[in-house]
Amino acid sequence: MDNLDAARMQMAFTLIFHIVFACIGMVMPFFMVISHYKWLKTREHVYLTLTKSWQKGVAIFFVTGAVSGTALSFELGLLWPNFMKYAGPIIGMPFSLEGAAFFIEAVALGFYLYGWNKISERFHLFTGIIVGVSGILSGILVVSANSWMNAPSGFDYVDGKFINIDPVKAFLNDAWFSQALHMTLAAFAATSFAVAGIHAWQIYKNRNPQVHKKAFNIAILFGAVAAMLQPLSGDMSAKDIAARQPVKLAALEAHYETEKGAPLYIGGIVNNETHEVTHKIAIPKALSFLAHGDFNAEVKGLNDFPVEDRPNVAITHYAFQAMVSLGMLLVLASVIYFISLKKKHWQLHRRYWLYFAIMAPVGFLALEAGWIVTEVGRQPWIIHNVMRTKDAVTPMPGMIYSFYMYVFLYAILSVAVTWLMARQIKVLNNTQTL
Amino acid sequence: MLYVVLFFVVLSFFLYVLLGGADFGAGILELFSSADHKKSIKKTVYSVLGPVWEANHIWIIILIVILWIAFPIFYNVIIVYLHIPLTLVLLGITLRGVAFVFRHYDAVKDKTQFLYDRMFEFSCLVTPIFLGMTFGGLVSGNIILLEDNPNAGFADVYIHPWLQWFPILTGFFFSALCTFLSATFLIGEAKNYEKRMYMRKAGIATIVVVVLGMATLSAGYLANNKFTHDFLNNYYALGAVALSGILLYPLWRVIQIGRIIWCRFLAGMQVLLILFAAIGTHFPNLIITKNEQISLLDGRAPDNVISVLGISLIIGGALIIPGLLHLLKSFRMIKVLEERE
Repeated sequence: MDNLDAARMQMAFTLIFHIVFACIGMVMPFFMVISHYKWLKTREHVYLTLTKSWQKGVAIFFVTGAVSGTALSFELGLLWPNFMKYAGPIIGMPFSLEGAAFFIEAVALGFYLYGWNKISERFHLFTGIIVGVSGILSGILVVSANSWMNAPSGFDYVDGKFINIDPVKAFLNDAWFSQALHMTLAAFAATSFAVAGIHAWQIYKNRNPQVHKKAFNIAILFGAVAAMLQPLSGDMSAKDIAARQPVKLAALEAHYETEKGAPLYIGGIVNNETHEVTHKIAIPKALSFLAHGDFNAEVKGLNDFPVEDRPNVAITHYAFQAMVSLGMLLVLASVIYFISLKKKHWQLHRRYWLYFAIMAPVGFLALEAGWIVTEVGRQPWIIHNVMRTKDAVTPMPGMIYSFYMYVFLYAILSVAVTWLMARQIKVLNNTQTL
Repeated sequence: MLYVVLFFVVLSFFLYVLLGGADFGAGILELFSSADHKKSIKKTVYSVLGPVWEANHIWIIILIVILWIAFPIFYNVIIVYLHIPLTLVLLGITLRGVAFVFRHYDAVKDKTQFLYDRMFEFSCLVTPIFLGMTFGGLVSGNIILLEDNPNAGFADVYIHPWLQWFPILTGFFFSALCTFLSATFLIGEAKNYEKRMYMRKAGIATIVVVVLGMATLSAGYLANNKFTHDFLNNYYALGAVALSGILLYPLWRVIQIGRIIWCRFLAGMQVLLILFAAIGTHFPNLIITKNEQISLLDGRAPDNVISVLGISLIIGGALIIPGLLHLLKSFRMIKVLEERE
């Protein structure tokens, strides 16, 4: 593995890890606050138990997200110093605001975790809300920095120099809204289904179902709404990519030839060498419609772009297929949940709970697949059409060892956090809630 | 606006050293304590630093974000040539953060606590050492820029700048400084018999700080490094260090009469004076390579970027600082050593 690949692997690996913790840290405070609110309103002890149990989860995930985020903020420079040298001043604005939002979140979390019986109940609940809101803001701001890499703006690139920098324009680049919306919904869907799934498994196993049913009902609602909205946001992203990054669209659809009335491929095995896609189901004219809102619109194929400007088609295409199909599974699960609100007897079946337990990882798998689409699909560019990833990488050799270190560290952390959560649930199951 | 940005650079740097440093110091104190003391330190640290411990560590993120936005050329040199110690700092920050939260938020308190505690203590010790080594490396005059010397070997470019006596001792010195801060801060939180323990530890830390400070300067002097030379010839720097030393006497007095706020203020001032001496000597030329000095201000971002950053920082600061002060105030009113659930 050469230095560039090692650096890319390290970045991918740390992001794959960080994104899970960041999403949970962003979304779980909302569950915690709802449960807290219900406790204040009903004074049912089960909600207090649940709030306190979730708050421990929030603390653990917040910190793991915060330290892996700290590592990432350094890694941007450590791995891609040439990128940061030029892009830093341009996309610094969302990062500095993100720093502020993150700080507010940490202060609010300090109040929340340590505020039980010490500060007024209303202010305590308020700080919980601030934790959630500032977490979401942080996420949106970071995604805005990422979207700039896809839709660079706010500067002129003349003779290899970045001039006339306008940080506000860079911040509000063409991709920021569609990406931020898609990611925020994804964070809600993924976290909600994961949390709901874990509680569903406990109900399936008949462990303290009273608490877990309350937990499930709070968590799933967020996820079901987000999952139903996600296809609309996805459509917006697809149209946006079609206009801005046609090569990425062509790669994620594995579409080699430019044509009018282009078909949409479902599945398919991509051969990167022969440029053929076999074993696919083709829906006539669907791609043209999805990308441009017109069944006969022209969709540019990969062959229209120089080979050195194309991403890895197979990875991008498979990841995209995975994201869409997993997303559809979530939509189906959401429909089942909403129907079960009417047909309450469904919840009496153990299979209902088993189904939601199986759905637990689906949201996060879809989310990771989505990030692979957007990041691999942007290659070979680190700044689309401006700077290549290979020109941004650190000159320091031996990045592979750094990569191994991170794999080792994060593998241990993942195991540790999972184990801690399992212990948390075990304790919750043994708690008397009446 | 440049001055606003510089103000925030200095502010976040100082606050990170004071608050983050005291957090690291707490772990070091724990490491060098008997089993009984370990327990009581752990409890005190959790009560005192708990609500703010995460906020304390965000200052370093603010610092590096400002550096990369406003001073990209300067930041680029740090991040390329001190890649290895910075990676080790990150490793330390990660392990320390997760160990802290694991040991306090694990639902079951059993033998694993032993593991979390050791992980916390060791990462608290090594992280400031590597941070200090990074700073030592920056001003050591050992950095070889690849532009000037494209054929330089791996060790010369990426290892020697920070792996020499001067930067290593700077690292240990910084660690000792953190321990001193923490011990002095904690005196105010302790009961009688514990108070004596913290006083003894603060005393030992003071001696270690003085010895390591002298050793660091000697190493720099013997290595003929420019930074040390300039430091020793800078009256402001020497004055600041001397004043920091003189403040030990009033510090000792306020500890005796139990004035907590004064005790913290003086200890903080002492550390700030030392930082002032270290940074002030060469500001803004804080990178000293084999052939040249690189200023923080060299190749800084265009004025409009600095303006936007300055405004963001002012708005962010206006939101954060009252919240943070309120947080500190709210929890100071609590009797921090009461038993918790």
